[in-house]
Amino acid sequence: MNLNVVKHATCTFCGCVCDDIELHADQVRIVEAKRACVLGKAWFLNHTAESLYPPALIDGQPAPVDDAIALAAELLDQAAMPLVYGMSNITCEAQRETVALAERLGGVVDSHTSL
Amino acid sequence: MGGKVTCTLGEVKNRADFIVFWGGNPAECHPRHFTKYSLMPKGKHVPNGRKDRTVVLVDIRETKSVKAADIFLQVRPGKDFEVLTILRALIKDQAVDPRQVAETGLTLEQLTDLVARMKRAKFGVMFFGMGLSMTRGKHMNSAALLTLAAEMNAFTKFVAMPMRGHGNVTGADVVMRWQTGYPFGINFSRGYPRYNPGEFSTVDLLVRGDADAALILGADPGATMPQPAIDHLARIPTIVLDPKVTHTSRLARVHITTAVTGISAPGTGYRMDEVPIPLRPALKSPYPTDEEVIRRIHEAVCAKPDWIHANGQYTTNQV
Ligand code: SF4
Repeated sequence: MNLNVVKHATCTFCGCVCDDIELHADQVRIVEAKRACVLGKAWFLNHTAESLYPPALIDGQPAPVDDAIALAAELLDQAAMPLVYGMSNITCEAQRETVALAERLGGVVDSHTSL
Repeated sequence: MGGKVTCTLGEVKNRADFIVFWGGNPAECHPRHFTKYSLMPKGKHVPNGRKDRTVVLVDIRETKSVKAADIFLQVRPGKDFEVLTILRALIKDQAVDPRQVAETGLTLEQLTDLVARMKRAKFGVMFFGMGLSMTRGKHMNSAALLTLAAEMNAFTKFVAMPMRGHGNVTGADVVMRWQTGYPFGINFSRGYPRYNPGEFSTVDLLVRGDADAALILGADPGATMPQPAIDHLARIPTIVLDPKVTHTSRLARVHITTAVTGISAPGTGYRMDEVPIPLRPALKSPYPTDEEVIRRIHEAVCAKPDWIHANGQYTTNQV
């Protein structure tokens, strides 16, 4: 089987953000994470590209993503004091978009740092 | 953390000959910190690696990290601020009250020895973890340690660095500082950013019942926050973006599944020393990235009348 090898992959599991990991992956899963520690290995090997969950849920029921996005926008727009929280496990690019959304909503934006 | 005296992990690797870990257990929480950055590597000015470094661990109990240290100082729980304040006095040769020293669980000999070693160092660094910043005294403890590191520069080079935990929390601080001037707990309700931890921090907002909708991403407060905060999240419309259906997703109105950061979503992540590092995903996710979903929600919100900003224009690239 042909494995896709990614040299210098980055582990974001802890604040060390090791960027010397070598990943071997097939289409759906990573089979090897060289140089990663126990935590990093678990992080890489436990996430797959399978569709394990519905793309979206509304009130607990599977729903199309477009509907979920429209409802999310509606609920956030309706709120007087929407809270936007988290951003630990997302990229800086996503964080930038998130802060911009919070500003447009006139809400509060906060991260794990405040705990 | 403006004004923090700090450095990069590359400088630690190449220069640090005196290293303190305060209130953290890197051996188990940051497993490659010792080998990749702080203790083992041979560096330009520490050519013999571990042999050229002195390592001190300060904690309230013995952890697996103790084995890696030369000196272990066991502080009585909740007394970190007092120890730091006594150290700040000792480095300046000020008198300290023996009764106060006794209360910390450490002896004056231990502390004066530590001070002498700190002053002898060529390049000292103090890493601090949640055992310092999340226990009695909280950010006052961090401030005391950062001040001690800054004051040590009257004698030798000294820096401090927080041992940040999961994922890209450092990136969140950096991005919020860049976009708003503040690192977290920012309120845009007046159309401009206001910062007040304790008032605009998530747990306080939720426990007081101030928030009337929530968007949660890259976090699972339903598993980690105090129960009254979780109860409020269940009462209000909550929206969750996450690669998994989380505890929070189960009490949310809307859940959207997203690609996993760094595994199937590309972008940038910040290391604990605030160095940005590109992510190189190995898999292709069947799900959209958080970035994509947030942008689409933002666009959908922007299609509605703007009741806060007189001239709310959404620009995709705010650089
Ligand atoms: S490989 Fe281990 S030490 Fe490095 S970032 Fe991942 S979890 Fe942290």
